[in-house]
Amino acid sequence: MPFSSIRYAAFRNLVDAELDLAAERVFFVGENGQGKTNLLEALYYLAYGVSFRGQVDAEAVKRGAAEFSLSGRCSEALSDSPILSEEVFVSWAERVKTIKVQGKPVRDRKILVEKNPTIVFCHEDYSFAAGEPERRRFFFDQAAGLISLSYIDTLREYKRILRQRNAALREGRFDLLDLLDQQYVGRGIELMAARRRLQREFDDRFVLRFEAVSLLGREVRLRYRPSWSGEEGIAEILAKLAAKRSEETALGTSLSGPHRDRWSFAVGAENFAATASTGQLRLVSLTLRLVQAEYFTEMTGRLPLLLFDDVLLELDRSKRRRFLELIPPAGQAFFTFLPGEPWEEYRTDSTLVYEASDGRFAN
Amino acid sequence: MKALEEFVSLLTRLPGIGRKSALRVAYHLLRTDRAFAQALAERIAGLQDAIVFCSICGSYTETDPCPVCSSPARDRSVICAVEQPQDVVTIEGSREYRGLYHVLGGLISPLDGVGPEDLKIQSLIARIREGGVAEVVVATNPTVEGDTTALYLKRLLEATGVSVTRLATGMPVGGDLEYADRLTLARSFRGRTKL
Repeated sequence: MPFSSIRYAAFRNLVDAELDLAAERVFFVGENGQGKTNLLEALYYLAYGVSFRGQVDAEAVKRGAAEFSLSGRCSEALSDSPILSEEVFVSWAERVKTIKVQGKPVRDRKILVEKNPTIVFCHEDYSFAAGEPERRRFFFDQAAGLISLSYIDTLREYKRILRQRNAALREGRFDLLDLLDQQYVGRGIELMAARRRLQREFDDRFVLRFEAVSLLGREVRLRYRPSWSGEEGIAEILAKLAAKRSEETALGTSLSGPHRDRWSFAVGAENFAATASTGQLRLVSLTLRLVQAEYFTEMTGRLPLLLFDDVLLELDRSKRRRFLELIPPAGQAFFTFLPGEPWEEYRTDSTLVYEASDGRFAN
Repeated sequence: MKALEEFVSLLTRLPGIGRKSALRVAYHLLRTDRAFAQALAERIAGLQDAIVFCSICGSYTETDPCPVCSSPARDRSVICAVEQPQDVVTIEGSREYRGLYHVLGGLISPLDGVGPEDLKIQSLIARIREGGVAEVVVATNPTVEGDTTALYLKRLLEATGVSVTRLATGMPVGGDLEYADRLTLARSFRGRTKL
């Protein structure tokens, strides 16, 4: 849901203020360190109750302050009357985070995913292309969770069973492992099925969009290799787990399962990440986000909020133009730019532009 | 005020009571009738003497064996296995179940170092071996730990020849699909039944 305004107090380097955001596109223009990314982070906090930089809440508190608070007004459409808007509130004080929607406490952040679906394009996404396998699993889990809350529930259950199973392995509880394996494989198969679906849905879209911007001339495909790939059904996977039990017991950890699934990008039989340039890898991560936004809208019929944190900077001028043409419709889009960037070219009649300086925003 | 601080600090150790609630209780008690405060203090002190565990089923009772275990009206062919004593009170409140109970005293959770040997499972088997039991209803919560415990009981007890069943999970009665939480709805789908 688009934000019509945001209010922040003691949040990072931002000077306490309330900003009008009622526009389809909002640009924050300024030098580095002026608070542009912090403002996007504040919006992300209001959307999901966490930082997109993967940092702890305490680090978001302004130096010298003890707590921060954020509140934003949002509604289904920017044209909606203010009376239809809702207030989202997030605060962190004395190591306790409070999230409220319309004054009512939100106990499970999962609820927010549905309320304010938001997709951030940021520098950290580079690790989806070039980082550890865990980072790619994180991205695809996030993409699946955004369209299906029951995926989040299944993933949580799976992780809980995994922890119980690892504890049983460490303690040598063979009497319990058979039982835990049944639950483990049950949830694991559900996750694998959802991930296979996601791969099918993402692959062609990814190929087209990546080529449209990169003009590489070769198909870069998305590959998904489940950890339990050779086995067909529950019985076969259970047999495999039983065969590996002594090894797993010796190591005290679960050696197979969806937490070991692999996602990769391939050109023919080759791993693309091994030969790609830094610029191409950045484009892989940006394209993943584009596809995520587009797929989300297709599956849910809703428009996400898009946050672009300095990402256009990573593309040359012609790629940047092609990339901008591919941005899917959004409920609202926020961009950060350095003063030297040709942001004037991208603005439309319904763009709100703020200049950022020392944590202050002026238009 | 040391006495007040100590009292508040003890109260906050109780489940569901934070410092603010503890202070409200403390100030209320300061203002209230002395006889009420006295009666409350006596009940708190005497609670653990007055309520004991039933030596058969393990639920809370003032008389041992508990009224359920000693009632001739209960169906002795069914035992409902629950996690904790308060679950007995909850199920009794439904007035639907007329069998006996067995409190397990926890759930299997390797993460917390709780194995089957820490639960009252041997005494359940002993009750079954005494004869007359045809069914054990496992009424553990539908969580990972509740599921593991239920699976364990099923495997263990089927060898004794009794039928092992589990409480159904799914949509609340009188509930609206629209308001069901997703985990409940997902469970309902997994456990859907043929019409």
